[in-house]
Amino acid sequence: MKSLVELGVKPVDSLINERNDKRWSLMEKLFLGLSPGQYLGQALRNPFNWILGLIFAVGLPLILYRFIFGLGAITHASNDYPWGLFLGFGLFCMVPLSASGFMLGTTVEIFGRHDFHPIERLALLNGLLGYFFAVVYLMVDLGQPWRLPYPMFWSFGPAAVLFLVAWHVATYLSVQIAEVSVAFFEWMDWLGGKRFIRRITIGLTVSGIILSTLHQGALGALFNYAPGKVHPLWYSASFQWIHFFVSAIPAGLCMVIVVSTIIKKTMAWRCDDGFLDSLDRCTLGIAKGAAMGLITYLVIKFIGVAHDNEWAYLATGWGAWFLFEMFVGVLLPLVLFAYAIRHQVASLARWGAAFTVLGIVLNRLNTALITFNWKLYQEIPHIFEFIVALTVFAIYITTYRFILYRLPILYSWKEQPQEALAPEAVKAAPASTTVSPANAVYRKID
Amino acid sequence: MSGISRRKFLAASVAVGAATTLGGTKKALAAGSFSGYPNSMGVLVDLTRCIGCRSCEAACNKEQKLPDPNLPFDDMSVFDQTFHHGTQKRRTDESAYTVVNRYTPEGSEPIYRKVQCNHCAEPACLSSCFVNAYTKTKEGAVIYDGSVCVGCRNCMIACPFNVPAYSYSSAFGAVVKKCIFCHETRLKDGLPPACVEICPQEALTFGKRKDLLKIGHQRIQTHPGRYIDRVYGEKELGGTHWMYLSPIPVEEVGFDPRPGNEPIISHVKEFLGVVPMVLAIWPALFTGFHLLAKNQEGHGDHEHDTEHQHDEEGGQQ
Amino acid sequence: MSAKQILTTLMMVLALIVVGSTTMAADMPEQVSLDTMVELFEAVEFDHDMHSELGEDCSVCHHHTTGTGTTDDRCISCHANSDELETVACINCHVSDPFSSEHLSRESQEIYQFHIDRPGLKAAYHWNCIGCHEEMDGPTGCEDCHARTPEGDEFYHKDATGSADEGGHH
Repeated sequence: MKSLVELGVKPVDSLINERNDKRWSLMEKLFLGLSPGQYLGQALRNPFNWILGLIFAVGLPLILYRFIFGLGAITHASNDYPWGLFLGFGLFCMVPLSASGFMLGTTVEIFGRHDFHPIERLALLNGLLGYFFAVVYLMVDLGQPWRLPYPMFWSFGPAAVLFLVAWHVATYLSVQIAEVSVAFFEWMDWLGGKRFIRRITIGLTVSGIILSTLHQGALGALFNYAPGKVHPLWYSASFQWIHFFVSAIPAGLCMVIVVSTIIKKTMAWRCDDGFLDSLDRCTLGIAKGAAMGLITYLVIKFIGVAHDNEWAYLATGWGAWFLFEMFVGVLLPLVLFAYAIRHQVASLARWGAAFTVLGIVLNRLNTALITFNWKLYQEIPHIFEFIVALTVFAIYITTYRFILYRLPILYSWKEQPQEALAPEAVKAAPASTTVSPANAVYRKID
Repeated sequence: MSGISRRKFLAASVAVGAATTLGGTKKALAAGSFSGYPNSMGVLVDLTRCIGCRSCEAACNKEQKLPDPNLPFDDMSVFDQTFHHGTQKRRTDESAYTVVNRYTPEGSEPIYRKVQCNHCAEPACLSSCFVNAYTKTKEGAVIYDGSVCVGCRNCMIACPFNVPAYSYSSAFGAVVKKCIFCHETRLKDGLPPACVEICPQEALTFGKRKDLLKIGHQRIQTHPGRYIDRVYGEKELGGTHWMYLSPIPVEEVGFDPRPGNEPIISHVKEFLGVVPMVLAIWPALFTGFHLLAKNQEGHGDHEHDTEHQHDEEGGQQ
Repeated sequence: MSAKQILTTLMMVLALIVVGSTTMAADMPEQVSLDTMVELFEAVEFDHDMHSELGEDCSVCHHHTTGTGTTDDRCISCHANSDELETVACINCHVSDPFSSEHLSRESQEIYQFHIDRPGLKAAYHWNCIGCHEEMDGPTGCEDCHARTPEGDEFYHKDATGSADEGGHH
């Protein structure tokens, strides 16, 4: 795609095809304004697609195999280790890494920080897809996935923490679909829908905060059911839910930094100047938020250790592993963020974000899998389990990219009314964008 | 607190308690605690009596119509089986709701322990189930309705005794499987479970839980030196309906010696209490933040003031 | 035949034995047929004569009920001088259905302080027999005394042949 753009091909970013003054058809929009031949050509030239293809070639049959022969056939999930990688990674890691939606939504919509607007849509999309694929992982893992709606409509267990997770993830998914649908409505030119969503934005955002607080916390509280099974250093009688909630804040924020970094490197053609020019500033701003989250997390983690008087465990092998997690996943990114913010080095903040994401993934895997049943024995997931988890992740990436290529997430959609009323103003837009990108983009979208 | 208000307060709590009891709730809900149905049944397992004949396993297999075993039930070589690099003994699974394991403490005769669901008074599995598949019956059994089981396996995570098993081999009917105290075929008609009836040694004593406690303590008292002074399950994890008398410390026969006396649900109550508070407070709090921010926006100097990020993050934690 | 029916039949059989033995003058029976588990095991023909010759004293098996006194520390405080009871058969005190709801509700109406934990008939036999057999090198294996019926073989899945290390275990 990059090379096509260099050749002067311009991907669809507006309602009207400039070449013939006609509206783009849906098919044209889906092919980004390229001819099918051009589209296929660029897809085949991209080596990453070949990697994805290889993963699908191996992984999709394995997923089929799982649904024919049962979980026992492809996983090491057992009666002692009921939850394997699909939940340990798919649910417990994907959900905190998707806290970005509510974080940036809050920052922009509730606190009125419109300078973060250029990255808000990416954060919302990251949230939506993360949750959606957490549910996909869940579907792969559940014994009878077709019964997933049971807790919603059929048989209620309202005193269970998982009941809360189910309801909140389901409602929050709807909220996120509504939030992201603005971009879809623009792309489809359904302006009524867009206007409706804009009107209820504040309501959606506030419900996003409530639901996120509760289900991020609830995922932690799920482990309160297993006080004797999770290692004490990863278990806190009183603060488990708040550890999970607070760590989700830097996790979600840093995931946006990581994703935006990958986008900048691989998908710059799709971004408009408003996005690219403000990215470093947004990254450092988000890094500040993440750093505040991380330092809070670090403090409450050690309050947790102190509260349950678990200091003695720090001197054990598990303690060394705990300190490693805290060092690599919390302390190191904190130092990187501090330096990056002080000296305004966005690239260092990006490294900090990468470590934070790794740290959160490690924390969730430690809680759900690695230190789980620490008194019993260590279970290592089946190789097929790794492959299926990777395959679902590859589907996630493919979907993510498919949407980023098309919907106005990284670029702003040029709508007809503006062009029709004041073509001059639109042509001048790039200039004004460079002066005050945040402002310009914001006003144009609204 | 004045006398009157305290009395009112007490009256109110009694009323709430009575409403809960009279309402016939079967669940141990987040509020209040549940001390069990008064006349519910239990089993007292006396490890000094068990001779490891495995007849209970055979009886369970027949009563619950479980799949044929790989080895005959009178094959004692199963006691030598270990799993996961010798760290684990046999456990319950989808084809065996009860198993007997042998423990050989140094310098003493082997001791056998039967493993099955202990039928907690406030079951962890029940409180963790989001489709309410589990029921604690008035007879004392913890039963479950496989037809609503989604297969999330949270109950297996929650069970402090690692009892519920899962039919991993099944692709379309995968549900949780565990001992149900023979509730459907026997207990609800007043019969003891199949394992109790077959036991040649009366290592399993069936009766009302409150009577079993008396019996248990009497055995300890009248046989000095035979038992450790503990009826395991009397208080542990809120009390169980299957309880154990052991001649040696319980950790030597594979029990967690200090599981705590709180039922598992107490560990999540704190969080469950947070939920309505968040639901009630967050909307006003964040709408308030929004109004404050909007007001500030009116003064028009927020655009380049990135320092605010600090306060905002702090505010949300 | 359900388990309950079996139990009822057995109770009647044993009751007949008891009635028979007590009305036959106060003498001991020569032979007692123990058949509580006839479904899975053949009845055991217990040679009472032979055993009574071995035992020094009836109270070894019959506690205080035969009027010969007892030496058990836990019984002696009340039963040192107890008279012979009208009937001394095991089943008179050790019921064959210790866990039936009828028996449990009967028990709950008793006001015993000490006898709240009487074993049922099957356990009483086994404890008495096996305990002594261990000391005196008598038979102790299940099938040393009980021949298994075909139903018993099926019950224990005699023909199961799997490998030991995959006991249906995950």
